Amino acid sequence: MTTTALRARTEHAWARFAARRLARLLVSVWVLITAAFLIIHLIPGDPVRAALGPTATPELVAARRAALGLDDPLWQQYVDYLRGLFTGELGTSMTSGLPVSQVLGDRLPATLELALLAFAVAVLVSVPVGLLFAVLTRGGRRRPAELGFTATSIVLAAIPEFLLAVALVWIFGVNLGWLPVAGRDGAASYVLPVLALALAPAAVLARILRVETLAVLRADHVRTARAKRLPDRHVYLRHVLPNSLTAAVTLGGLLLGSMVAGTVLVENVFAWPGLGSTIVSSILAKDYPLVQGIVLVYGVGVLVVNLLVDVALALLDPRSTIREG
Amino acid sequence: MARRWAGVLRSPLGASAAVLVAAILVLAVLAPLLWTDAATATDTARISQGASAEHWAGTDSLGRDIFARVLVATSLSVRLALAATAIGVVVGLLLGTAPLLVGRRAGRLVTAVVNIAVAFPGLLLALFFAVIFGVGATGALFALGLAIAPAFARLTQTTTARVAGLDYVAAARIAGVGRFRVLFRHVLPNVAEPLVVNATVAAGSALLAFAGLSFLGLGVQPPDYDWGRLLGEGLGAIYLHPAAALAPGVAVVLAGLAFNLFGEALAKVLGERRPLERPVRRTAAEPAPDDSAMLVVEDLRVAFPGVEPVRGVGFAMDRGDAVGIVGESGSGKSLTALAVSRLVDESGEVRAERLSFLGADLRAGPHRRLLGTSLAMVFQDPMTSFNPTMRIGRQLAEVACEHQGLGRAAALDRAVDRLDAVRIPEPARRAAQYPHEFSGGMRQRAMIGMGLMGSPALIVADEPTTALDVTVQRRVLSLLADIRAADDVALLLISHDVTVVEQVCDRVLVMYAGRIVEDLPSAELRSRARHPYTRALLAAVPDMTTDRSLPLAVIPGRPADPAHLPTGCAFAPRCPLADERCTATEPDLVADDAGRRVACWHADIPVEVRA
Amino acid sequence: MRELRFDDVTVHFGSRRRGVTAVDGVDLTVPAGTVVGLVGESGSGKSTLARAAVGLAPLSGGRILLDGEPVPRRGRRPLRMVFQDPYSSLNPRMTTGASIAEALPRRTADRRAEVARLLDLVGLAAEQAGRYPGELSGGQRQRIALARALAGEPEVIIADEITSALDVSIQGTVLNLVRDLQRRMGLTILFISHDLAVVRYVSDVLAVMYRGRIVESGPAEQVLADPQDPYTRDLLDAVAAPVHSGHQADRGRNP
Repeated sequence: MTTTALRARTEHAWARFAARRLARLLVSVWVLITAAFLIIHLIPGDPVRAALGPTATPELVAARRAALGLDDPLWQQYVDYLRGLFTGELGTSMTSGLPVSQVLGDRLPATLELALLAFAVAVLVSVPVGLLFAVLTRGGRRRPAELGFTATSIVLAAIPEFLLAVALVWIFGVNLGWLPVAGRDGAASYVLPVLALALAPAAVLARILRVETLAVLRADHVRTARAKRLPDRHVYLRHVLPNSLTAAVTLGGLLLGSMVAGTVLVENVFAWPGLGSTIVSSILAKDYPLVQGIVLVYGVGVLVVNLLVDVALALLDPRSTIREG
Repeated sequence: MARRWAGVLRSPLGASAAVLVAAILVLAVLAPLLWTDAATATDTARISQGASAEHWAGTDSLGRDIFARVLVATSLSVRLALAATAIGVVVGLLLGTAPLLVGRRAGRLVTAVVNIAVAFPGLLLALFFAVIFGVGATGALFALGLAIAPAFARLTQTTTARVAGLDYVAAARIAGVGRFRVLFRHVLPNVAEPLVVNATVAAGSALLAFAGLSFLGLGVQPPDYDWGRLLGEGLGAIYLHPAAALAPGVAVVLAGLAFNLFGEALAKVLGERRPLERPVRRTAAEPAPDDSAMLVVEDLRVAFPGVEPVRGVGFAMDRGDAVGIVGESGSGKSLTALAVSRLVDESGEVRAERLSFLGADLRAGPHRRLLGTSLAMVFQDPMTSFNPTMRIGRQLAEVACEHQGLGRAAALDRAVDRLDAVRIPEPARRAAQYPHEFSGGMRQRAMIGMGLMGSPALIVADEPTTALDVTVQRRVLSLLADIRAADDVALLLISHDVTVVEQVCDRVLVMYAGRIVEDLPSAELRSRARHPYTRALLAAVPDMTTDRSLPLAVIPGRPADPAHLPTGCAFAPRCPLADERCTATEPDLVADDAGRRVACWHADIPVEVRA
Repeated sequence: MRELRFDDVTVHFGSRRRGVTAVDGVDLTVPAGTVVGLVGESGSGKSTLARAAVGLAPLSGGRILLDGEPVPRRGRRPLRMVFQDPYSSLNPRMTTGASIAEALPRRTADRRAEVARLLDLVGLAAEQAGRYPGELSGGQRQRIALARALAGEPEVIIADEITSALDVSIQGTVLNLVRDLQRRMGLTILFISHDLAVVRYVSDVLAVMYRGRIVESGPAEQVLADPQDPYTRDLLDAVAAPVHSGHQADRGRNP
């Protein structure tokens, strides 16, 4: 096979990978949109009556139904919904009367900031810590360090973010008074929410990275690297880390996804003006158009994260494009 | 099985987790009976008070005792969590096993749906379903159950698919066993452990997630209360009396931790089996080989906790020698090779009277430069012995950068040159490829090329052709022979295959149970072998001249297990010549005038190998 | 015992454009009461052919016939298979007796006695029926697998690399057993292996498979004494002649 032929094959593999991945993304987005659309139709009874309460007059309910297009045939509503999505028209909030797209635009940046900052903190803490403890405790060395690490990471991972948030509020806000406990105002206000969101995923990630690294350390090709008599740091950085990272990236993606969800709880504890506090209030207020919009945004966010993870994996592991094909 | 479950309780982690879980379950049953009155009694005189001797965690806005409420809430919290887990597990099992039961096309559809659902975090799914089922305990219950289901379905799918691909399932299908019986008899029992572990952990997460939903106001509604509800009510007043928020918080964490730890302990005990600890046996050292040689190994021992798989091996090699080590699994042949090249895992302890290579004492210091340039290793599995994330050329060049001080470009040039030397066509293009783009035989040649980056005096090849096809095997062996002839390189070849060793080596060391039992020229292997094991090994393997009308010779019993060696000669239990002396005392390895060595009390008795 | 015939059998995996043809138009007859040895390297398609025979791999073309009739795919199967890996071919949660009994026809009257008879056939004591695979050695497991294959008197047995996972000193006992059972019971066996010496030892007829095709077949002595196909000659050279240096052995067909 000539060099050109090989390059062509490689590009072909990438094109196939991209096409397959894109198809999967489109199907997922379609399922998501349909699910969001169906929310309002799956609710038992009349959603408008439920939203407006038993005291609302039948005329008001009927008017609101008509405004929402709920009296049209289902397929008509579905087509309208899809058309609206393409033009950025997501309906109107039933409680505030504002366009849903405007509410989303106002609230999304705060949530994004929170999730991304927390993710960065989690990765920056967990990767060195996991690698360090793998190297320190390899081959059953330093039992106490291993025990301490495992115990700490299990406990941290078991504390859900909203409880951690409450604990942080109590310690740093109530007792010590060092940091603000609510709102989004200045750098100091970010510390506690980011910590609350990042600690548990960091513990999980560090733990997985240690286990993965230990497994890679036992692999045949690391023995080959040792047979080359390379200095230890070369063995760890060139031959071990790239191979243990693949697992960490897969898991990191899952964690980023669950961090997006975790913002819902953390935002409620810290009264953070993001999507998370909005979705809860809109569910309680039965503001269905707003709920639909937020569900869509969260869902798309998760799908984008998954896509990024797959691309990162394909770049990290030269085998992956071919392995899938 | 039952014994292994009991093992969970014996580990300290498992025991404490089990006690915690049991305590929570007992509390869940008893608390409502004992403290419901205290938890519901309003006391308008004591509204929203802090912790006191009477009210350990203070009182709420109606003056009710928060500690009692936390205790009573155990019941609802645990029941809801378990019910949600049950829903999730049942739905997950149905979805997960569907691909095995329904047809291929329907199965694929189910898998696709699960794959999409599993991409979304549980909490988002729970929120989605909570909107549909409505705000309240029942809605949250179903929402959470359905949110657990996709992950559980996925786990069920992957584990059952793995087991369903195993040969015993194929054998059952071939025998005409129906698909339901296959599922219930062959597949599910063999995946039960990971599923149980996962369900336990899922129960823990469900508990936490339910607390989260109730905390948000989407779960349990007043007048009912669970931990999450109490926490939400307490948070508003955290400045006034923090105990109201902290008490339910601590309860949630404790309970969640208990389930998680219990799952953790289950996984640990069910997942790994520890080797039994055995006392290390000592045997007499072998006679010292001459000491001017290139490689001198004297009384080499390798021990791991509880076993000593290599028990006093000694031999010497000169430049250009080709020595083969043959033996079955457990004979210690591979460990001997690893010990000689100083590559035994850190958990193993290597000791030797002498271990010298080119005059350097390998027992002292790492000898990086010397071993990196003068000793080449070839491993058994060419598929796994290269770093999959690094180009082949770079993996070779590394050696020259490290030990010969070459720059990156010069080192890469040398790598290409070495790939050419091991007859890899288009070496420059191949050097830029990743290992998975090489065939097995080519990888093994590249591995040999890696050893040739320096100027090796010794190539240690551990089963270099076992993973290769016979015609490819031949090319690799002849490459090794060429290198040996061209540069006077010595070759230490480890193999289970007598024929391979016979084809390539001048001398053969036969190992059994961690010792050399015979050492002789390979030309004399078939004619003058004296150890009954060597002779039996040759007779037991058919070759192209074996008489088809006679049964093959058989060595009774199974290969010696290094962890359970008999006293006396380790081969005695399988040996037709064994007598009392053999079972009492282990024979030494004794050399004759011609330098042939054998360790057998009956080495001089001619034996007809029993058919 | 009946005759097993592969008639222009093709097995293709994957899509039409990008897939792999593992077995490519194979014609092969296993006459009743004989052992046909099928030798070939990894990837030659020999295991796929075996799996196709017992219905584990889908046919893309051709037919597999028992005495001229298509092999039934429902109910009691007339073809049985013994696998390579004795550690994954027995359910670790079932006693060996239960594994064997499961393969017996439903109407078998005294299953316990039948299991004992089968164990005796493969040289194991009846007590072994109560043991779990984990307690047995590789050689014993392979005997159990043979007993399971014999349960219910199959027409043809397919043995796929049944000795290659065993230690060399154990391999001989299993080969002896196969040879002995075949002679005593007149079994029809398709014996697959990559090891020419092993195939030669047990087979009457030899077929050589290379890249999905049978390149040569005939009476074993004849094929070995006078190989016609260059690949068969390569294979014979590889096991027979010693390796010398300076011997450019790169004349094989593999790149």
